[in-house]
Amino acid sequence: MAERAKRSWIAEGWVLLSIAVVLVPLLYLVSISFMTQAQISAGILVPTELAWGNWAKAWNSPVPQGVVNSLLAAASGAVLTLVFALPGAWAIARFRTGGRALNGLILSPWLLPPVVAIIPLLTLLRMLGLTNTLVGLTIVYALVNIPVAIWLLDGFIRRIPVDIEEAGRLDGARDFQLLVRVVAPMLAPALIAVGVIVAILNYNEFLFATFLTQSEDVQTVPVLLAGMLSERIQDFGRIAVSSLVAVFPVFTIAVLLQRYLVDGLTTGAVK
Amino acid sequence: MATADPAVRTDKVLEEVTGGPQHDAGKESRDSGPAGTAPASGRTTSGRKSRGRTVPGRVQRALFVSPSVLTLLVLAAYPLVFIASAAFTESSLGKPFQEFVGTANVETALASAGIRGSLLLGTGYAFAVALASTLLGVITAVALHRSLHSGPVVRTALLLPMIVPPVVVGILFSFVFSPSGGLLDTLISRFTPASGTYAILSDTTWAIVGVGIADVWEWTPLVVLLVFTALLGQDPEITEAARLDGARGVRLFGHITLPAVAGTIAAAFLIRLILAFKVFDLVYVMTSGGPGSSTLVPAYLIWRTALQSFDVGMAATITLLLAVIVTVVTLPVFLIVRRLRHG
Repeated sequence: MAERAKRSWIAEGWVLLSIAVVLVPLLYLVSISFMTQAQISAGILVPTELAWGNWAKAWNSPVPQGVVNSLLAAASGAVLTLVFALPGAWAIARFRTGGRALNGLILSPWLLPPVVAIIPLLTLLRMLGLTNTLVGLTIVYALVNIPVAIWLLDGFIRRIPVDIEEAGRLDGARDFQLLVRVVAPMLAPALIAVGVIVAILNYNEFLFATFLTQSEDVQTVPVLLAGMLSERIQDFGRIAVSSLVAVFPVFTIAVLLQRYLVDGLTTGAVK
Repeated sequence: MATADPAVRTDKVLEEVTGGPQHDAGKESRDSGPAGTAPASGRTTSGRKSRGRTVPGRVQRALFVSPSVLTLLVLAAYPLVFIASAAFTESSLGKPFQEFVGTANVETALASAGIRGSLLLGTGYAFAVALASTLLGVITAVALHRSLHSGPVVRTALLLPMIVPPVVVGILFSFVFSPSGGLLDTLISRFTPASGTYAILSDTTWAIVGVGIADVWEWTPLVVLLVFTALLGQDPEITEAARLDGARGVRLFGHITLPAVAGTIAAAFLIRLILAFKVFDLVYVMTSGGPGSSTLVPAYLIWRTALQSFDVGMAATITLLLAVIVTVVTLPVFLIVRRLRHG
């Protein structure tokens, strides 16, 4: 008993330490957002007087528009990904459509740095006349995440009892109806889970966005933030506020949909 | 799936023959509308069954996977062909494939100390970061599993770094490591006042460590989550039986718990390794590959070569070399994962 108690003290201590390691940098960012440049340089960690100037500056900057752009591209990209990925994932998991080759290759684009896909994607968007538009970026996000979505959905589809699908089939339902009326409703929690993961990946994406959104009115928030860092005189306070504004929507979604997020990552990624 | 139990199928055929075939036929033609497979109307019931089910079924399923196949073509096949063609030709961004140069690019790349250094740095970085993440992640997951404080609030808090945009993670750690009033510098100078300033990101040996710390901070939660879930999924009876047999502490962990979650740990390590090979945003934001070339990881080098120097041929060659390294390095890990998981 004594040994158990001692070990659980170590465990509690470690958990507390981990939480501190996670939260201290984030709280430091909050702290910086309320400091003037002089206070930051003086090595003050927690301001005694809150300087709201940074927040006012960020509100009157392109950052709020950037957040809206990011949310639009992230959400519509995720919805399109699911529409494309669900039938594919189902066919691959249930009927081995495309055989071992498709099943084995599906995740291959994820293995390489995404920079290799830039040139083909730029060519594709130029042909469609969609460079430097949010629609173009949305299409790219929709395409890029199909392999990951299929991979994540696979674990969920395998958990559905085949009997239910078979029963639907005996009632005369064809594949498409079976998918829409039986499989999709049963997969609803999985679709939310995978959708949230894909939307967060989109929201955080930086490399494609820098190339596909050049003008300020369509730039996403990571692109705007990276731009601020490359300014000659960096305004730490304003960068900190903008970062917090950028993080706010993802944190809200993560807290509200925590259960789906965890489920998606654990069922999908480890099978 | 289409060739189900023959007994069931005969039953079904009988039922359809004896039941209302008219009703069924009407339903069939209505149903086939959206899928775009209209069966000929004058077919016998059994004929419709075997052909109406399998052939259009296959067409439908081909339609189902067509977006995935398209994605593979756009994101994997086309880049691969492009990279292979560009690697063996003289290519610039505006004018690719000017002249076939054979293996000249590969030879130049292999002879270049800068490129070799970058590939070596990337491999070392990937392993170091993946190992650190996996080790810390497993310890945290085990602690969380034993802790009484593992409710949703704690779990959500521990997951936060993973969903912060990498650009923001880079900004965050640039602030932490900043020599003028950064968190680390301030804390060190408070405890040891005469120690001078610490500018980690401007130091040729420490900059890559700084990037690595940010990377570990961001992605260790994924390992925690995966391993913690695996720990929850253990069979409690086996653990209890082992405990009754006298296994405790380290022995219980080493003989029962660890083997049960080893597959998950290996899979998490593999995912983490691949993520670390692809690191780009953090380097872009924190160091831009510098100081000198001390944080010039392969993904950043490829980006710089293709889109700043416009030497697409060389960028393609580096990509090809990186692909070979990633494959050679991850394949053994992948095989271990498969053995542990399906062993």
